[in-house]
Amino acid sequence: MLNTNERLKRLIYQTLLIRRVEERVIELYPSDKIQSPVHLSIGQEPVAVGLCESMSPKDVLFTTYRGHAYYIAKGGKLPELMAELYGRKGGVSGGKAGSMHLAAPEVGMMGSSAVVASTIPHGVGAALAAKLQGTKQAVITIFGDGAIEEGVYHESMNFAVLHKLPVLFVCENNALAVHTSLAQRQAFDIVQHAKSYGINTTVIEDGNDLIKVGDIAAKLLESLRAGGGPEWLMVKTYRYKEHVGPGDDFDAGYRSRSDMEKWLATDPLYKYPEIVKEMEADVKTEIDRAVAFAEASPLPTRADLLTDVE
Amino acid sequence: MTNQSLQKALSYREALNKAMHDAMAASDKVLLFGQGVNDHKGIFGTTSGLADKFGAQRLIEVPLAEEGMTGICIGAALNGAYPINIHIRADFVLLAMNQIINLAAKYKYMFGGLFDIPMMIRLVIGRSWGQGAQHSQSLQSLFAHIPGLTVIMPASSGAIVDSYAHAVQKHRGTVISFEHRLMYDLTFERDHEPEVLGKTPFSQRRVRAGTDVTIVSTSIMSLEARRAADWLADRGISCDVIDLHCVSHIDHDVIMKSVGRTGRLLVADTSWLPYGVSAEICRIVCQNDPGALKAPVVSLGMAPAPCPTAKALEDIYYPNLTTLTDSIATLVRGKNHGIDLPHERSMADVYKRFKGPF
Repeated sequence: MLNTNERLKRLIYQTLLIRRVEERVIELYPSDKIQSPVHLSIGQEPVAVGLCESMSPKDVLFTTYRGHAYYIAKGGKLPELMAELYGRKGGVSGGKAGSMHLAAPEVGMMGSSAVVASTIPHGVGAALAAKLQGTKQAVITIFGDGAIEEGVYHESMNFAVLHKLPVLFVCENNALAVHTSLAQRQAFDIVQHAKSYGINTTVIEDGNDLIKVGDIAAKLLESLRAGGGPEWLMVKTYRYKEHVGPGDDFDAGYRSRSDMEKWLATDPLYKYPEIVKEMEADVKTEIDRAVAFAEASPLPTRADLLTDVE
Repeated sequence: MTNQSLQKALSYREALNKAMHDAMAASDKVLLFGQGVNDHKGIFGTTSGLADKFGAQRLIEVPLAEEGMTGICIGAALNGAYPINIHIRADFVLLAMNQIINLAAKYKYMFGGLFDIPMMIRLVIGRSWGQGAQHSQSLQSLFAHIPGLTVIMPASSGAIVDSYAHAVQKHRGTVISFEHRLMYDLTFERDHEPEVLGKTPFSQRRVRAGTDVTIVSTSIMSLEARRAADWLADRGISCDVIDLHCVSHIDHDVIMKSVGRTGRLLVADTSWLPYGVSAEICRIVCQNDPGALKAPVVSLGMAPAPCPTAKALEDIYYPNLTTLTDSIATLVRGKNHGIDLPHERSMADVYKRFKGPF
């Protein structure tokens, strides 16, 4: 076991790597080298890092179109990610996926979808297979607060509880669906509602707390592996950037900059400036290599157009 | 290729039960999902007895949650299972379109070949006894339109047994199978199995060889086409009847060789004509060799309306043996063909008492 300081550093390194990767995406975006809609995780990275900390590569994870953070936190390779964003043949999916459909099955990152809530049942199904085959895998399925309004969320919760499946439902609650606030969308309390399925619920008020997210995830995953049935976790967090694209949108009227400033107070990358400072050079080198790989990777060709259709 | 698996005459229902049994016996990864997979009726008998043999945990009774259950099947497939998801009426699958079209059909391509979704969805087309607008739809063209899906419509016991074994044991992608409820009680003699016109059990089939007219048909319309062809054979018209079987993957050569010989084409589908199987067969002929046709194409299918419940209306909603035979005779000999026609107003009545031979 790492001592606390080493562990924190490792988590901060991953958080920083994700943040700087996405900042590089912002920097590159005006060049049109990345022609894929990007849903940046900036502000939400600690949730992904904490959740993935105690997942092994055989534990599987399904996530959303805001998936760069999970891809990196789960152990997906950075050069292949960058080449994927560039639409190159060397990308993790040869350029057919782009930003919204990242996957890395070799480390248990099993896919991400641009249709809200659509991967929630995949986590439940993977957990069913795991249980029936006795694989001892734990499964995490990630979704946002908007997904809770979709019927398939309820269908998935019911089945998982009914069959006591080893799946952790994780609601990344940034309180926004594109530009629409929770209050404009939901007539019920998310947690009370989840409890009505008879599932254990946990809430983390500060999704910036890397250690807390990591500790709670570890405990819940262990319970899944021990056959304790599904678990439900809500992590509150904050999206710094616009819903899609590289910009800020605090002047758009639906939220204010002061909302973000509250979150900056606990953002680990601002909270631990000395640790961050000593990591910057390594992170930059890693990203430079990934960008160089992407730039050197060939474009897919007509020969690739009709491969892997079925 | 020939039909390998069928050793004796089986009803369509028995063939389905055998196919489910064989799939579960071949691999413990095979799981059955559906409302009633484990009840006393066992999906019209097609899953009866399997829980005793393979364990109830592999036959999963589902909540009424079509989208969720389809997504759960996809997730199970991604983690090593082979799910078979059964809907007792095809109409209910419309609640699962997001998972089928946005996810299952795209998972392989969208991720650049990192994943397969090996899975089967069984859908039962209803007909007769007042099925009405929402228990009767033939939705094959909706799915066949989407790249990434394989859509089959087995029209014999052999087609069930061989295609399902191929789907589960060899094919790596998602297969959607439309079964026809009216065929469930029909017994298909092994000797009468159509000839498979390709390399896999999904390939098109020749129901009957002929020279005057090509009839391309699907599902139960292939049985009707055979009956019409038998009637007309005694009256001097020779029909080449091709059962499409796999409507999503059509071998153009099979269609064009037949049309090249006969010069006449009639398409008999179980569904509506616009944007459907009939339209697709016409596209294939027009793109390959429109000059092969000596006469305009004739298409038969459901009337362009939702299915009515009243028997008096339902009987005229679908083409029957009389209209089919008349259409073929007219196409070959002209309007004044002078051929006597079988008088049969309701196909449903015929199939309910029908005992074979195919």
